[in-house]
Amino acid sequence: MRNRFVIYVVCLAMLNLGSPLVAQAELIGTLQAVEASTRAQDLATVSSALARDQVRAQFVALGVDPAQVETRVAALTDSELRTLAGKISEAPAGADALAVIGIVFLVLLILEAVGVIDVFKKFP
Amino acid sequence: MRPSRAARAAACAAALVLAGCASRGPQLPPVTVSGLPASVELDSTPFFPQQDYQCGPAALATVLVASGAQVSPDELVAEVYLPGRKGSLQAELIAAARARGRLPYLLPPSLDDLLAQLAAGHPVLVLQKTGAGPWPGWHYAVVIGYDVSRDRLLLRSGTESRLEMSPTYFRATWDRADRWAMILLEPGRLPARADFVRYMEAAAGLESVGRLDEAGQAYRAAAQHWPGESLPRLALANIALARGDEATAERELRAALSLAPDDVAARNNLAEVLRSMGCPESARREIAIAARRAEGGPLAAAVASTQRRIDASSGPDGPGCPAD
Repeated sequence: MRNRFVIYVVCLAMLNLGSPLVAQAELIGTLQAVEASTRAQDLATVSSALARDQVRAQFVALGVDPAQVETRVAALTDSELRTLAGKISEAPAGADALAVIGIVFLVLLILEAVGVIDVFKKFP
Repeated sequence: MRPSRAARAAACAAALVLAGCASRGPQLPPVTVSGLPASVELDSTPFFPQQDYQCGPAALATVLVASGAQVSPDELVAEVYLPGRKGSLQAELIAAARARGRLPYLLPPSLDDLLAQLAAGHPVLVLQKTGAGPWPGWHYAVVIGYDVSRDRLLLRSGTESRLEMSPTYFRATWDRADRWAMILLEPGRLPARADFVRYMEAAAGLESVGRLDEAGQAYRAAAQHWPGESLPRLALANIALARGDEATAERELRAALSLAPDDVAARNNLAEVLRSMGCPESARREIAIAARRAEGGPLAAAVASTQRRIDASSGPDGPGCPAD
């Protein structure tokens, strides 16, 4: 049930932010001050814009071709941007399978399971 | 020559783990129980041997081409490869699929569901964690089949066009990737055992990035497959509004409300459409109902905002507005 509410809010937010009706609402300037008191919507909008900027900056820092950065950022939804922002350096980035076989892989699994391997991450 | 104490300890630990796995017997889920065939191999799935660090483009190209798109891994590099991470993020694979008009459906975290997608003809793109600690070994591969009698999964992975993998190893690597798995669908097609929320999230993603035609097709398929759900109708109304088609939007919203009279979002949106169509009195009536239903819930603020906008337009309904 909660997930459906989230989708309703998303759909509703899309309606309010992206439809021709919003264009009409913006024409009626006197209402903007009234709507500014809708804190929840304001916060969601602000954090999406912030997330977009953060992801954009992170892409540039990670070597994405500047000509491509906008396209790639625009291809992500607001909720994807919010999830990624600030976490791109730790998020899984699929690359190559480790050529780790048999016993070595099992030992790695065990060390990870008992929390020993995570210790390495704390060292630069 | 005697093995060192550490090597013996490691071997013991490994043996224990192996023994633990072996005692469970075959690891593939009982396919006969779930009504799936004993073996599947989607051998027409293309193979793109990956280059260094580029399993993302290779795996994504594989499932994109399998879903009917025309693309090569090289074209995808610019969209999904992060030089600074020497790899590709899951979100960007999803985004690149959407950009080509494909619905990216994320599977529930279930090996049984993965097999069901294979049986329905969909190769499955998976994330695996093949290492640990400072060498996580994140890797994308495409599952193209399984064989119960041999207790094996079949993958296109890296430079291997047909990798046979034990379910034990697959589970070990896939579980640690939070069982992330994705199939791509042409708009209008549904996954096997379609999960309503996951499907609608995928379709809404298409709409979010402006792929209105594809999103509309996906929503229409959802409305047909789940005729009792109001959300696909709400979504179709949103698509109509994005195109300026208020008449269709009103029709879909009323359909949504006939299915779910307590649907706050549909009632709110209907009120807004009525206002926009020059029916402020009808709009006020609808938004009042929505406000009562929304009280104390997550949509209360949004409804309140709409209500303020509607209350600012006074007067009776114009001609052509719904009676009553």
